[in-house]
Amino acid sequence: MKPFAFFPGCLIPVRYPAMEFAIRQTLPKLGIEIVDLEGASCCPDPIYFKSKDKLSWLSVAARNLTLAEDLGLDVFTNCSGCTATLSEAYHLLKDDELRDKINKRLKRIGRKYKGTSRVRHVATLVRDEAGYDAVRESVVRPLDGMKMAIHYGCHLLKPSKIMNVDDPNNPEVLEKMVEALGATPVRHRNWYLCCGKACQHEAIPLNMMHALLSTVKDVEAEILCLICPTCFSQFDHGQMKVTKHFNEDYHIPPVYYFQLLAFAQGIPYEKLGFERQRYKPESLQRFATSSVHVEG
Amino acid sequence: MAKARKPNSDDVVRVDFDFRRQLAKKVEGNLASFCYQCGACVGDCPAATYSDEFNPREIMLKVLYGLGEELLVEDSVLWQCTNCYNCAERCPQDVKPVEVIISLKNMLADLNIYPPTVEKIIGTFEKTGRTTPLSPAVDRQRERFGLPPMKPVPMDEISKLLEPAPDEEDDSE
Repeated sequence: MKPFAFFPGCLIPVRYPAMEFAIRQTLPKLGIEIVDLEGASCCPDPIYFKSKDKLSWLSVAARNLTLAEDLGLDVFTNCSGCTATLSEAYHLLKDDELRDKINKRLKRIGRKYKGTSRVRHVATLVRDEAGYDAVRESVVRPLDGMKMAIHYGCHLLKPSKIMNVDDPNNPEVLEKMVEALGATPVRHRNWYLCCGKACQHEAIPLNMMHALLSTVKDVEAEILCLICPTCFSQFDHGQMKVTKHFNEDYHIPPVYYFQLLAFAQGIPYEKLGFERQRYKPESLQRFATSSVHVEG
Repeated sequence: MAKARKPNSDDVVRVDFDFRRQLAKKVEGNLASFCYQCGACVGDCPAATYSDEFNPREIMLKVLYGLGEELLVEDSVLWQCTNCYNCAERCPQDVKPVEVIISLKNMLADLNIYPPTVEKIIGTFEKTGRTTPLSPAVDRQRERFGLPPMKPVPMDEISKLLEPAPDEEDDSE
């Protein structure tokens, strides 16, 4: 298998290095080789900078993709926002007129976008290149019986014509990934809801999170498993706000999937940075004694 | 931009085509032209569900009428969009209301109007090439996980990319 160029983005390496650590620990155990992308910038983000100027946003995204093209490799990201930007750029730049326009800008820095590097989120990279069975076989302490709610977020799946990942109305990729850990995925009624982070309004995201968390609580999930650092920050910060605002008790730790995989592959709980979360997945500790195989 | 006109009292709707031409210059800004106001975008819209003010069908209608003056304002309702793309999934006309809304935000940026949080994050990106600011504490945290320090982004390259070419916008006309 060819290696894959790793596009880590901003939020994970800067604010949540534990997530990056988890990716770097878990992928080699699935037979996926990682090559770092030198000179990468922000993807740029699909919410803020894209809102200023789509052409500049596309130009910077195209530059990031040329870094992978130089290596002759496909790209993977660990963040749904980066996946959205880079996949959308890859899709939009199939248009000759737009690509010419962007290449005029790239010419200023001696680069040319060719459209030869495909983009994937790490979750779908693992599904497509390693497979669910490889994930299951890499697990040394299965999270048997642990009920996990899944938050897909928006940009892994949608727009579905660009992402081509799974059925946005009834996806299964993350359920299968959770099952491969030995855990039990539980679908809550508001599973499709957005985290609300991009919405520049006080009450709307708060009400959305409340609706989502209350249905996660209804199905008695121990953890809210997710694959996007923006969704993570929203639920880790936001849960406290929701608790206060609605005067209801929530304690549903959001956890990035690859930290769960790292734990299931034997990396000690204490090495995974969970102490920096507001809501800590302490219930994982009950598996800590089973078949510990320390690495990393 | 010419001032948009609201419908007159004689019920004649005067469409501000100048506003629509400006919007069409933005990437995918012209998609609203295909909207036939079916409202499929509304039912699955989280912002519409949790806000009385936000309605993607209504925003597309204002675009069709050219009512820029109602959309391109401080504290615009456009910023209530959660960017979830449900509207783009549901639209039978492939309008992608969310992309039209982002194009409208590009027009707001041309007027130098941003919510403070948004302006701050854009500023961080334009200065450092990243949307999340670095600090010595970041590298200390990374070291704990055996990760190398963050490398600076080659800003000379990024800055050069951000300047618009003089002929860019005219191309699409």
